[in-house]
Amino acid sequence: MSTTKTSKSDSVRQHQLALSRRKFLVAAIALSGLAIGMPGLAIVRRAWAQSGTPLEDDVYRALVQMARRLYPYAAISDEVYAEVLDDVLTATVDDEAFVETLRSAEQALNSQQPSDFIDLDTDAQIKSMRAVEQMSFFATIQGAVKFRLYNHPAIWELLDYEGPSYQRGGYLNRGAGEIDWLPEGE
Amino acid sequence: MPREYELTDDSVFVVIGSGAGGGTLANELAQKGIDVVCLEAGSRLALADIENDPGLMNQRMNWNDRRLGPPVWLCKTVGGTTMRWSALAPRFQEHEFRPRTTYGHLQGTTLVDWPVTLAELAPYYEKAEFNMGVSGTHDLPPSFETSNFKVLRAGGRKIGYKEITSTRTAINPVAHDGRPGCLQIGFCTSGCRIAAKWSTLYSEIPKAESTGHFELRTNAMALKIVHDDAGSVTGVVYKDADGNTVEQKARAVAVAANVVETTRLLLSSESSKFPDGLGNSTGHVGRNYMRHVFGFTLASMPKPVNFHRGTRISGYIRDEAYHNPERGFAGGYLIEAMALDPAGVLEFYGGWGESTAATMERYDHLAGAFVSGEDPPQASNRISLHPTERDESGLPVPVIDYALHPNSAAMQQHANRKTTELYESLDGKVISTSQGVAVGCHNMGVARMSEKPEDGVTNRWGQTHDLPNLFVSDGSVFTSSAAANPTLTIVALAIRQADHIAERMRRREL
Repeated sequence: MSTTKTSKSDSVRQHQLALSRRKFLVAAIALSGLAIGMPGLAIVRRAWAQSGTPLEDDVYRALVQMARRLYPYAAISDEVYAEVLDDVLTATVDDEAFVETLRSAEQALNSQQPSDFIDLDTDAQIKSMRAVEQMSFFATIQGAVKFRLYNHPAIWELLDYEGPSYQRGGYLNRGAGEIDWLPEGE
Repeated sequence: MPREYELTDDSVFVVIGSGAGGGTLANELAQKGIDVVCLEAGSRLALADIENDPGLMNQRMNWNDRRLGPPVWLCKTVGGTTMRWSALAPRFQEHEFRPRTTYGHLQGTTLVDWPVTLAELAPYYEKAEFNMGVSGTHDLPPSFETSNFKVLRAGGRKIGYKEITSTRTAINPVAHDGRPGCLQIGFCTSGCRIAAKWSTLYSEIPKAESTGHFELRTNAMALKIVHDDAGSVTGVVYKDADGNTVEQKARAVAVAANVVETTRLLLSSESSKFPDGLGNSTGHVGRNYMRHVFGFTLASMPKPVNFHRGTRISGYIRDEAYHNPERGFAGGYLIEAMALDPAGVLEFYGGWGESTAATMERYDHLAGAFVSGEDPPQASNRISLHPTERDESGLPVPVIDYALHPNSAAMQQHANRKTTELYESLDGKVISTSQGVAVGCHNMGVARMSEKPEDGVTNRWGQTHDLPNLFVSDGSVFTSSAAANPTLTIVALAIRQADHIAERMRRREL
């Protein structure tokens, strides 16, 4: 039998590969943006297209818009919502069923009103989303967007969330336990 | 020095699982000079593998094998769920070992008293607290008071609570046992980067290795426990790190794979002699599965709290922990200061749209309280094996059936009301409370200790009633759940079990 002692499992290594791949993609996004000066959405579209996800432009745009309506922040640019979706797509690049879920989401959103989802105003988009929120795709997409959006540094800054801390010695000398508005004696 | 044992060596004691129960039992046995092989399904992380990144750490540590039913949140890694736990380590109360006597008959439950008393377990609690570095015990100071704890204490005092403490956390308040004091990093449930939080990964496992009586085999997934014609366990069949199916011979075996996997292994080990699985002659394996009455109350406070700065759990309130039937339910619950990162908050605080986004924009104003309460055992709350579905290891997929007992539902509503009162007393606005069944991180029962064989699976030492050399050493042996977070009691029981096993070996009974 094997007596090899390893500190990292194969799954860890595979994840690290996936991470470096993601870093490459993010770099590709930045480079392509610089090179041709396209607006954010097109830039990201280009990046995930390179990753091989066969998702149509219209579907992609509708889902970025859905991400914004799920957790709307005026101070957050479309690029951030697009990065979140790109992140979702990169993580699920080999998952055909998931891509199919995304397509069916766009179809469901489009079929709520005479105009396509992407062409509606904010209130009408919200109305369409409320109409489909019990459908199974909705929770799937919401869950994926939620996790990645609220792990995005742009959102952290907006929320005054300071994030990872061990590299900076924890919060022990950086505000842990500090609170000055509790009743006297607390 | 780490040892290496032959597969054919039938003098070794095999422990399945390296977490709170298995890691502790293995180390205690090795310290006594007993040769131990520990099979761990996951890999061994180094501290450098531990990042402040919950998504990444979920991938590195999660037990992701397929299951049906309400979700459980467990680990497949050396250290098991001690890598993930929030480290609150209160003892059970005296009456919680006698729930049937104290609460009387609760309709629909299968309550029995433990075959163990608090007095009997107390010296082992002492040892466990020392080993784990529990704050406020031995000579260790209380834990650092986080702002989230200070909010909980201020609100608690306002509504009349008296027993509010920042002690009883197994996170070093100062350097202890070769591990450093806590730096209030946060991210406790993603593994502790500096090893200030107790985990068997960097406490019991290396100690066991240094005895020269211990071998840890990682990526070793136990598939079946085998026995001889007389009904004594003789070995464990497992899939090794290279994917080969091999058998390690054994003089005795202890299963500590965390409740779901412990059930699966006992049931999968069926044979012609034990057609319903090992330890299951009275049909109790998998039954009486408990998860704790669970609550998480989140409040948006008038001014910033910044609850992300510091440990995830940092103190608790004991006032509701007692048995006080006037509240409309049996047993009690703890209220624990608990913080989450933004994505974690949204796992509890649902919804979407403008108001959700606006509440989240005030993330720095949030305060949180976790509730852990006694959950009575029910025969219908159980883990069983799917008759046809198999997972990637070829093992039957576990099916989890779990519903809240009315006593638990009443307790949850009470806890929601009291925690709401607590935060409102400081002009906070509660944005979320828990309703119904949540993710199971405290898993108990399924191989419970019982005085009489017809009431459970294991005896007062965690030995199966049916097989003389098969033990269970995790939360599966809990006869009842009590209110307290389970890990300290798992560790205390494992230390006690090791004494018992060593004594039986000395008498040549094992």
